[in-house]
Amino acid sequence: MLLKNTYNELIKILAKPRSYIGFIALTVLIGVILLAMKADGESFISFVTSSFEQTLSFNGLILNGNLIAFIILQMLIIHVPLLVALVTGDLVSGEAAMGTLRMMGTKPISRNSFLLSKFFAGAIYTFFLTVWLAFLSLIIGQYMFGTGDLIVLNSDGLVIIPENDIMWRYGLAFCLAYLSLLSIATMSICFSVFSDNSIGPIVSTMAVIILFTIIGSLDVPTFDHVQPFLITTHMASWRSLFEMPVPYDAIIDSILILVFHIVGFTALALWWFNKKDINT
Amino acid sequence: MKYILILVIGLFSGTIQAQDSGNDLLNRVVDKTNLVNDYSASVIITPDVPMIKSMPVKAKIYYKKKDKFKVVSKSIAILPKQGFTDVNVFLSDPKKYMVVEAGEKLIGTVQTKLLTVIANESSSEIILAKLWVDPDKAVVLASEVTTRSAGTVKIEYIYSNQIRFGLPSQIKFIVNVKEFKMPKSFSSNPHKSSTAKKNKRKVGTIVLDITNYIVNKGVSDSIFQN
Amino acid sequence: MSEVVVSVKNLKKSFKDFKALKDVSFSVYKNDVFGFLGPNGAGKSTSLRCMLSLIDSDDGQIEIFGKSLRKNRFDVLSNIGSIIEKPDFYKYLSAFKNLEIMARISGRQVSKSEIEDIIHFVGLKGREYSKFKTFSHGMKQRLGIAQALMHNPDLIILDEPTTGLDPQGIVDIRELILKLSKEQGKTVILSSHQLSEIEMIANRMVIINKGKSIIEGDVSELLNSSQMMVKFSCEEPERFCDVISNEFSNISEFNVTDSEIEFEINREDISEINAFMVHQKIKISGIEQKRKLEDYFIKMIQNED
Repeated sequence: MLLKNTYNELIKILAKPRSYIGFIALTVLIGVILLAMKADGESFISFVTSSFEQTLSFNGLILNGNLIAFIILQMLIIHVPLLVALVTGDLVSGEAAMGTLRMMGTKPISRNSFLLSKFFAGAIYTFFLTVWLAFLSLIIGQYMFGTGDLIVLNSDGLVIIPENDIMWRYGLAFCLAYLSLLSIATMSICFSVFSDNSIGPIVSTMAVIILFTIIGSLDVPTFDHVQPFLITTHMASWRSLFEMPVPYDAIIDSILILVFHIVGFTALALWWFNKKDINT
Repeated sequence: MKYILILVIGLFSGTIQAQDSGNDLLNRVVDKTNLVNDYSASVIITPDVPMIKSMPVKAKIYYKKKDKFKVVSKSIAILPKQGFTDVNVFLSDPKKYMVVEAGEKLIGTVQTKLLTVIANESSSEIILAKLWVDPDKAVVLASEVTTRSAGTVKIEYIYSNQIRFGLPSQIKFIVNVKEFKMPKSFSSNPHKSSTAKKNKRKVGTIVLDITNYIVNKGVSDSIFQN
Repeated sequence: MSEVVVSVKNLKKSFKDFKALKDVSFSVYKNDVFGFLGPNGAGKSTSLRCMLSLIDSDDGQIEIFGKSLRKNRFDVLSNIGSIIEKPDFYKYLSAFKNLEIMARISGRQVSKSEIEDIIHFVGLKGREYSKFKTFSHGMKQRLGIAQALMHNPDLIILDEPTTGLDPQGIVDIRELILKLSKEQGKTVILSSHQLSEIEMIANRMVIINKGKSIIEGDVSELLNSSQMMVKFSCEEPERFCDVISNEFSNISEFNVTDSEIEFEINREDISEINAFMVHQKIKISGIEQKRKLEDYFIKMIQNED
C-alpha cells in the first residue's frame, strides 16, 4: 500500500502546476547567472582574487564551468530550499484544504503509510530538483565555459583544486546538497501536518530558513553554541568538500545532524498525524 | 690639512673603484643574458603561500627579447605580480641606474658579491635592486627587488645546464602575505567558529622548477597575444 | 434475525470542552437501508467520521462486519464505500485519474474497465477525462457515488448523496440505493435531510440529537401508520371545521390558514370525510397528506429538548 500510494503522490505532484515552478525558476535563475558570467565574469573573478593581486598574479583559465557551478550553488543556497518547500509544504495541508484528506482518510491505508508515502514522494521530487540543479549548473556551465581548476574562496583563504580532482567532489557535494534539501522538505511536510491551509507551512519553512541563516551568519561568540545544531549551518556543508584537505569528520557530523533532523521531523509528523482528527 | 686631503682622496678613489668593479660584474651578467633572444621551457610551479592552498602546476613559459613573456597553463598558476622581464629590461640600459658594490655574502658555497642597483629616474618602476652575484660565473644567485606597485620581492636562483645563458633551473620567490585581507562575503565555513585560531605565517614561497629549455630556436609572436 | 453489519455502542467524543457525542448507539443489519437522522449539530457527521476512522472516539465500541474497527481497520475499510459531506477530489486531475488514485488504495483490485464502467453507470459517460474542476455540483456528487461503489463494497455510507442533483438524478439515486440493497444484498447507511427520501427508501432508522441516540427501529413501526396530518383546501373553512367537529368526535384540533385546514386523522377516515363534505355541499379543492416522518422527526426532537 505504501508503494501504491507513493505512486499516487507522484501522480499528484506531477499534475500540479506549482510543481514546475521550481524547475522553471531554477532554469531562469541559473540562465541569468550564466549569461551574466559570460558577459562580465572577469570582474567577478577579480573580486575573489583582489586581496592577493597586489603581490600575486593568477594565470590560467579561472572562469570555467567548475567555478560557475560553485558560484551558482553558493548563490542558490537559500533559494532552492524555498522552491522545495513550495511543493512539499503543501503535501498534507493542501489536501486538508481541498477536502481530499477526508476522502483519503476513509480508505484502508494506515496513516503511517499515507504520510510516509508523501515523504517518499517529496524526497523523489527533491531528488529531481537537485539533479536539474546539477545539470544546469555543472553540465551546462562546463559546456558554456569549459573546464579547468577550481578556485574557491573561504574564510581561510583561497583553495585551488586541480581539474582532475573536482568531479568526485561535485558528486559528493550534490549528494550533500540533496540531503540538505531533503531535511528542508521533511521539515515542511512536518509543518504541513499541523496545518489545514496551504500557505502556512510554506511560509513557516521560509521563515525558519531565513531566521536560521541569519543566526548562522552572525559572527558573534554567543551564537557559537547554537550554530552547530542549526539545520541551515549544515546545509552549507557541501562547501567543505572543496577544502584541502577535506574535513571528513566535520562532514560526517553534518550528515548526522541533517539525518537527525530528517528522522526527528518525520517522527514528529507521524506522531501528530496519527493523533489528529480529520475534521476538514 | 694635508692629511685630511689625502684621506678624502683615498676614500673617494675607493668608492670609484667599487663602482667600477660593480659595473664590470653587472655588465658581465647582462652580457650573458643578452645571449638569449628567445626561449621556451617547461615549468612546475609550486606555491606555498599562507591563505592559499594549491597543488603544483605544470606550465610552459615563453620569452622573447626584450620584454615579451608568457606563462601558458590550463591549470591556475600563481605567480608573483612582479614580472620576470622587469629586472632584465631595467638592467639593459646602464644610463638608467647606478651600481654600487656593497659587500659580500656566502650563499651555499659561493662567496657572492652584493651589487646595489639604484634607479636614476624617479619614474622608474624598479626603485632599488639588490643582486647577490656569483663573480666567477656572472650569474645572480639571489635578489631583492623593490618596485613601486608590488613592493619588495626576494628571489633565489639555482642554475644547472643553462648557466651559460644565465637561465636558472629553479627560481624561488619569497612573498610577503601580511597585506592579504579576506573579503567578508560568502566565505563562511560551517565547520569553523568565529574564535578559531588565525594563521600566523606571514611569508610564503613560490618555486618554479624549470626544465627543457629550448633557447634561440625562435618563438612565434602569436604566442604572446591574448 | 439478520446479521449485524454495524454495531455502535455508547459512542463518545469531545472536541476540547465541547461534547459532540455523549452516547450514540445503534445497529445496522444486513441489507438494511438505514436512515441516520438528526438536526444540524446533532452529531451525525461526527458519528460517521468515527465509523470511518477519520476521528478517534473517546469511548465506545464500533464493530463493523463483526470486527472491531480499531483492530481491523484495513479489513473493515476495504469493504466500505462512503461519501462524507461533499465529495472532494483533486481538482487538477480528471475524473478517471481521481478514481484510479482512490482505487489503488481501496484494498481491492479495481481494473481500468471497472472504473470506466462505474463512471458510465453514474451518468458521467464522455466526461471521464475532463478535469474535476470543470464539473458541476451534480457531476461532482455523481463522481462521489462512483468512488464509493467502484470497489464493490458490502457497506455503503452516504451522507446527503442527492444534494445538488436534479429531480431525475434524485430519482436515479433513490432507485440505485434500493437496487443495491434488494438486488445486490448491500447494506446502506443514509444520512439525509430529505426526510421524504428516507421515508421512501429506508427500512430502519435512528434519530440522534445533541450527541445522543433518541430512538431507533423500523421506520414503519416508528411512524405508526394509522395517524397522519392531512391538509384540506376548501372555500368554507369555518363551516368545514364545524361539520367535522360535530361528526367526528375524535377530531378537535384544527390549524386553519386562509382556506386550508390541517388536522390529524386516521388514514382510513380521509375518504369518509371527503364523501361527507360532498354530501354537505362543502366543496373540497384539495387534499394533501403531510410527510409523516417530518412530523415524527420534529416531535422527537422537541421531546428531547
